[in-house]
Amino acid sequence: MDLAPLLDALRCTRADGRSISAWSVFASASRRLTLGTKDRETGNPHAPLNLAEGLTVRATIVWDDGRVSRAALERRQVEREPGPALVAARASAYDDPDARDVLGPATFPDVPVLDPGTERLAAGEIAPLAARLAAIRDRVSAGGIRTWSGSFHASSGTACVVTSAGLDVSGRGTSAGWHATLDGEFGAGHSARAPESDADFAARLDRLVATVLDLRRAAPGRPGGVVPVILHPDVVEEYVLGALFHNLEGAAVAHRTSAFRSDQFGLDTPVLREDIALTNNPLTPMRAGAYRFSPEGLPAAPVTFIDRGRLVAPVLELKYARRLGLAPNSAPGALDTVGFSGSSAIDEAAAIARAAGGVLVLNVLGVHTQDFTSGDFSLSAPQVLALGSSGIEGRLRGTISGNLFALLRAADLEFVRFPGEHTPGLLARCRFDSA
Amino acid sequence: MPDPSRLVSELEQLSGLARALGDRARRRGAFLIWRAQARAVTRVAVKSGRVEDVSTSSGSGHGVHVLTSEGRTALASRDDFLPGPAEELFDRAATAAEAAAGLGVDPAGFASLTPETARAIPDGLQAFDRIDLAGHARRLVELERELGGRVPDVTLALTFATDLDAWRVARSDGADVLWAMPRCSLRLSASSSGDSRHTVGAAISGASPTLLDDSEAMTTFLKRAEEAARLARALPDAPVHPAGAFPLVIDYALAKGLAHEAFGHAAEADGFRSSVLAKGGRFRSGDEVGASHVSVIDEPVPGDHAWQPFSSTGVRRDRATIVDHGRLRDALTDAWSAGPSGVRLTGADRAESFRSAPLPRMTNIRIEIDAPLHAPGRFEDYGPAEVRDLLGAAGVLARHPRVVYLSGYSGGQVNPATGDFVFNCKSIYTISPGGVALHKPAIFSGSMFDALHAIREGFGPLLLDAIGTCGKWGQSVPSSGGSHYFLVLEPSPGIRLGGR
Repeated sequence: MDLAPLLDALRCTRADGRSISAWSVFASASRRLTLGTKDRETGNPHAPLNLAEGLTVRATIVWDDGRVSRAALERRQVEREPGPALVAARASAYDDPDARDVLGPATFPDVPVLDPGTERLAAGEIAPLAARLAAIRDRVSAGGIRTWSGSFHASSGTACVVTSAGLDVSGRGTSAGWHATLDGEFGAGHSARAPESDADFAARLDRLVATVLDLRRAAPGRPGGVVPVILHPDVVEEYVLGALFHNLEGAAVAHRTSAFRSDQFGLDTPVLREDIALTNNPLTPMRAGAYRFSPEGLPAAPVTFIDRGRLVAPVLELKYARRLGLAPNSAPGALDTVGFSGSSAIDEAAAIARAAGGVLVLNVLGVHTQDFTSGDFSLSAPQVLALGSSGIEGRLRGTISGNLFALLRAADLEFVRFPGEHTPGLLARCRFDSA
Repeated sequence: MPDPSRLVSELEQLSGLARALGDRARRRGAFLIWRAQARAVTRVAVKSGRVEDVSTSSGSGHGVHVLTSEGRTALASRDDFLPGPAEELFDRAATAAEAAAGLGVDPAGFASLTPETARAIPDGLQAFDRIDLAGHARRLVELERELGGRVPDVTLALTFATDLDAWRVARSDGADVLWAMPRCSLRLSASSSGDSRHTVGAAISGASPTLLDDSEAMTTFLKRAEEAARLARALPDAPVHPAGAFPLVIDYALAKGLAHEAFGHAAEADGFRSSVLAKGGRFRSGDEVGASHVSVIDEPVPGDHAWQPFSSTGVRRDRATIVDHGRLRDALTDAWSAGPSGVRLTGADRAESFRSAPLPRMTNIRIEIDAPLHAPGRFEDYGPAEVRDLLGAAGVLARHPRVVYLSGYSGGQVNPATGDFVFNCKSIYTISPGGVALHKPAIFSGSMFDALHAIREGFGPLLLDAIGTCGKWGQSVPSSGGSHYFLVLEPSPGIRLGGR
C-alpha cells in the first residue's frame, strides 16, 4: 500500500479556510481466499473459490477549529485523489471534543500473528485444502451424513497506524479457518492465525459427526418448566458473551443504553456472581484475537472487564475512555482471547450427569432479536439433547427463557469444559419448553 | 434520462474496461460476468442531545466472475478499476477456476441468457452529491428534543443514513446493465432509564436524502418513535407472557418477518438440495403449503428500501409468486439454480458487494390475503385498543375471547433445511373484550407450513415499508416487505409463543 500521497495531503490540505491540526490514519491491505461448500458441492457457483484484494483506510482528522472528521477512504482516494477526499471530509466535520485524541509513539508488544503457510494459501496456493476437504467428505460418508455445507478461508495482510503525533507502527498477520455444518443441523469449526493441526482438525470433526448423529434420535417430549440446562460453548459465545460485551461497550455505558451504569464500574458491589471474571488477552500468540495495536494505535495489553463479579472497566476506545474519564483498553478481536470463568469448572461428562432431567442446548435461533439491556431472553432452541440418568436420551426442540443476569448471579451456575473449545459452556437452571 | 450522480457517471465511464475484460475472457475460452460497484454512505448519529458521530465512506471496485468452458467458476476482486491490475485479476480468477478440479469442484450448468443492455437510474440522485450533513445533524437534535418532550425519562438515539449503491454488470455475451439504488433511513432507539432497561426501535425509509424534510414521512416517524419510546418506558414493569400456542394477531411488520423467514429463505434455489420446499433438488411446484386465500409474493418495488431492478448476473428481476393461493409456484432463482430446480428464472441473485458471489435473495416480500377486511385510516392510528375494536367488529373475539397481539418486528432467523423459523416482536398485548394488557416480548417460533395454514383474516390495505437487513452466507443486503395492517392466525401446535 502506498500511503505517501494521503500523508502528504494531510500535512498541507486546507479546506473551508481551515487546516488540519492533528490526524490519525489506520490502513490495512489484505489478500483473502475463501472456498465454500454448499450441500456437498465444493466451490459451486454460490460458494466459489474467491480471491479478494483490498485496502481499508480510516482517517480521523482534527481541524484547527477543533472540529473532527471521521472518514473511510477507498484506494483511489488514498493513492491518487487524497486532496479532494480531505476537502470532502471537511464537509462532515462536527464538534466532538472527546474524539480529538491522537496517539503518539509507544512501545508495542511482540505477538506472533503470522504464518507463512497461510500467506501462501491466501495468495492462491490451494493444494493444502484438498486433504482437509477429503477428510470431511470421508467422515460425512462414513457417518451416513445426508449433506454438509461449510467454508475454508485464509487471509494475509499488512496493517499500520500513522499519526501526526509521531506514531508509525505496522505489522503483518494472517488468519485461517474453517467451518462445516452437517445435515443443516449443527456445525463446528476453528479460526486462528494459522490452521489447527491435523490431529485437532480430525478430533473436532469426529465430535461434530457424533453430535449430529445424537440429534437423529428423537426423545419423548417433556413438560415445560425450570430445569438444568447446559448451554453449549457456541451458545455461550453467541448469546451470553454477545450480551455481556454489548452491555460493556463504552458507548452504551456512556449513553445509558447499557444494563450497566458508568457509576457501577470500580465499585465493590458485584453485578454477577462473585467468582465470575471476564478478561481479554490479545497477547496470546497465534490466536484469532491476538494483535499488537488497535486501529487507533493503542498498544495491545491484557484487560479485565469483570473481576469477582464486579465491573472493572467497559470496553473503551479513545473517545469513550475520555468521555468516561477512564483509560482506553484492548477490545476483543475474537473470542479465543477472551477469558470467561468462575472459580471452578467441571468437564462435559460431569455436567451431563448433573443435568439429568434437563437438556443440552447446542444451538439457538433469534439471538439478534433479544433485548440485551434487559437481559430477558426467549430463544428458540431447535437442536437440543435431552439428558437423563444414563446420559443423552435423544433430540428435542423447544424454547429456553429466563433472565441472563439472574442466571449469572445464581449460586448453582457451573462453568463446563468442552473438549477442543476455548469458551466454556454453562450449566444453569432456566425454563425449557419442549415444542 | 435524468442527470446521473457522480457515482453513476463513474460506472458509465468503464465501458472500455468491460470490453477489454470480455475480449480477454473470449480469447481464453471462458465466460465472464463482470461486476463494478460504486457506493457512498453517510451517517449522522445523535445521542443524548448531542451529535455523536458523523461519518462518510465510499467504496468502489470490481469483481470478475469466471466460468470456464468445463463449467467451473472462480471469483476475484479488487478495489479499483485500473486496467493493468484488472487484467491480472482476470488471469488469477481464470487460473483458479481451471485448477479447481483438483479440489473436487464439480462443473455447474449456467442458463442460456438473453443479453440485455439497459439502465435503471431513478430520478433525483444528484441530491446524493450535495448532502448537508450539518443540516441533518441539526434536524436530528431537534427531533430528539421533540421526542424527549413528548416522552420523558427515556434515553433516545437517532441515526440518519444515506446510501447510494450503483452497479454495472456486463457479461462476455454482450449484456450490459447499470442501475443505482438510493436508500435513506431514519432510525430511533429508545431505552428505558431505570435499573431494568429495555430498548425499543422505530424506523422509516425513503429513496431521497431529503427524507427529513418530507412532512408526511416525518409525521409517520414521530408517531412510530413516540410509540417506541412509550413502550421502552412501560416494558420494565410488564409481566412475562406464558409460553404456548394461542390465537394470534400480528402486524404487517411481523407478517413481513413471517414471509421472509418462513417462506422466502426456503424458496431460495441455491439451497434446494436441502430445503423443505424442494425434493431431490427440485422445487415442489404445485404442492399445497398454506391456506387457499393466502399468497406470498416477492418483487422489487420502485422507491423501496430493498429495490433492485436487475440481478447481479445482469438479468432483469421478475415478480415471484412463491405461494399462489396456498400452493407453491415460483422460486427465487438465478442462472445457475433455475435449471436444476426445474423452475423458471426469476433473476433473484443479489450480492452485498463486488467482492461477493451472488446468491438468490429476496427483495420486498409480502403476504397477501384474498378479500381483506376493512381497516380505515393509517396503520399508525392503531394502538392495541383500536386493534381490539377491529377484532371485535369482525367477530374474532367471539371466536376467541382472548387473543395475543404481537406488535413490531425485531428480527428473525430460519433454518431452511428444517423449516424452523423464529422471530421476535417489540411487545405483546393480550386482547379480550374486557381490555388490553401489555407483556414483555417473546420469541415466536414454529413450522412454516403450520404458520401459513393458520392465517385466517387480514385487515386493511397492504403496507410494504417494513425494512431490515438480511444476512445469508456472510453477506448482508437490505430487505423489506409487509402485508395487510394485521393478520389473524388461528392457534396451532406448530406455532408457539416462547415465554419471556
